[in-house]
Amino acid sequence: MKPRKRHTVGILALGPVPEIVLKIVAAHVSGYLDLPACFLPQMALPRECLDERRGQYDAAKLINHLKSQSFAGCTKVLALLDDDLFVPIFTHIFGEAQQGGTHAVISLSRLKDLEDGAKSTDADFYERTAKVALHELGHLLDLFHCQDPACFMHFSGAIETLDAISMGFCPYCKSYLQQACLLVEPLPVDR
Amino acid sequence: MSDKMRIMVVDDEMIVRESFYHWFTKYGHAVETAASGEEALEKLENRQFDLLFVDIKMPGMDGLELLDRVKTEYPETFVVIITAYGSIESAVKAMKSGASDYLLKPFKPDHINLVMEKINQQKVLTAEYDYLKQQLGEVTRFDDIIGQSPPMVEVFETIPEIADTDAYVLLTGETGTGKELVAKAIHAKSHRANFPFIAINCGAMAESLLESELFGHTKGAFTGAHKNRKGFLEVVSGGTLFLDEIGEISMKMQVDLLRVLEEKKIQRIGSHQPIDVDFRLICASSRNLDELIRAGTFREDFYYRINVIEIRIPTLRERKADIPLLIRHFLKKYSQETTKHVDHVDASAEQLLKSYDWPGNVRELENAIERAVVLSKSRTLSARDFSFLKPAQFSDAGGRTLLDVEKRHIKGVLDECGWNISQAARILDINRSTLHKKINKYELRQ
Repeated sequence: MKPRKRHTVGILALGPVPEIVLKIVAAHVSGYLDLPACFLPQMALPRECLDERRGQYDAAKLINHLKSQSFAGCTKVLALLDDDLFVPIFTHIFGEAQQGGTHAVISLSRLKDLEDGAKSTDADFYERTAKVALHELGHLLDLFHCQDPACFMHFSGAIETLDAISMGFCPYCKSYLQQACLLVEPLPVDR
Repeated sequence: MSDKMRIMVVDDEMIVRESFYHWFTKYGHAVETAASGEEALEKLENRQFDLLFVDIKMPGMDGLELLDRVKTEYPETFVVIITAYGSIESAVKAMKSGASDYLLKPFKPDHINLVMEKINQQKVLTAEYDYLKQQLGEVTRFDDIIGQSPPMVEVFETIPEIADTDAYVLLTGETGTGKELVAKAIHAKSHRANFPFIAINCGAMAESLLESELFGHTKGAFTGAHKNRKGFLEVVSGGTLFLDEIGEISMKMQVDLLRVLEEKKIQRIGSHQPIDVDFRLICASSRNLDELIRAGTFREDFYYRINVIEIRIPTLRERKADIPLLIRHFLKKYSQETTKHVDHVDASAEQLLKSYDWPGNVRELENAIERAVVLSKSRTLSARDFSFLKPAQFSDAGGRTLLDVEKRHIKGVLDECGWNISQAARILDINRSTLHKKINKYELRQ
């Protein structure tokens, strides 16, 4: 049997992202999933992924752009950006990852304040960022959306539902992740 | 969103299809996409979908037209209309045509969850409705006899009335009308239900074999009788004996059976020892027994003995209203038996099946559907799947006079031969000029 290697999660800033946010995401990845996280050098936001009409970045294009880059030593990459994200069918999204894929994007743009404009604390902002990051990483590890409204994998399209999520995976998702995180496919040879 | 669904996204824009695809796969749904209404219909022919997301504006068939087709041909499939160019008019039209919801692109991420929750609730309601409908369906079924037309309702009403008496019953009706099912139903509703029901087709046995089967024999009674054997008249003890095609039995057998019915005793072949028997007799005939009596091949006294209560089973021609119900029943039966998912007939097939005369009655319909299901490559049967039905039996082909029959027959032969006059004349055993005269007389056209 070929030796199996555990996932290493790369944390990437696309454009300027506060260092504290990157550190919080890395700490939550290690803390909740017991996976090593490493910081990748900041990359500029590719302008070709910006939809001028909507004034938002196209999540699918960003993921494709990331796929064309080399991130040596990482099996999964969480890319954070301060700008707004969309997929064609939705007005906005907090994050996007392909099911069982390798790259995810997370937008901080709508995590700071409530929709009615009410200000949030830094702690609320950091917690929301960590929740979205772990949710998208869950998809990269092939977890589906979860019906448990308290689980990280429960879908939330609004800050209110995101805030209602507890800090943790439900027992079912946790059980799946324990297997997914320990038994990892060998790294592709071209990495 | 609890249950996993099979979803199809129909949109001419690839990025929209991909967005939906990635979104729904995150819920574990099975997702397929189609770039046009035509492609969606092709996919629907081969696979069942729970839910369709359909864009209104597409080249070729637009979303509202597709919605109409889906709701007509696959009414159990939910459809959500999506559009980037919303108007009250199109929304009203979509909802009136049976759409479950109407979404304006792009929509808020939470909105689609609300839509999916609503669809799930509709699914639950539909499942409850189907269950209740099935329960109601039981009212129109009587121990596997299916029908809700007035002639069948009359039969259904008669069965419980006579079931618990021991009166002998004569079932008449054409072959394939379901006489044995009625006999079984009478037995099942009677106080003899816990005892055997034995059916014998008298027309399928030689007289000597029928005699041996009914009365049994003792060892050495005839060549090959190596041991004592009970006949069905003994074996059926306490139960119901169903003698199908009773008009086929010999005069001698009629006398023997008449004696059994009067004395309630039998003697095995080769024995003089009388044995008490207790059974209810139900006979059936597809032949006109009155005519057989007049022809001297059926005993009048035996006829009156077995015909205490007569139930005439209607032909399928007389209860064409039951055809859609029977189609659904047989489709379900053979879809399960063959594991082929064929669960619809389209309008052309239903019309064809209704216009056919069904000389073989329900049995012929059942066989036709079984054959069509086995050979079908899609989940919907169309008229071409029933092309094997004999054209002469279509009731819209004309009346029933001798001239009508001749006209239909000649037309049928000509069609078979591709209107090759010489070949058709040979088959009809008439010369070509006679055939031409008949073609002109009946105004037959290719």
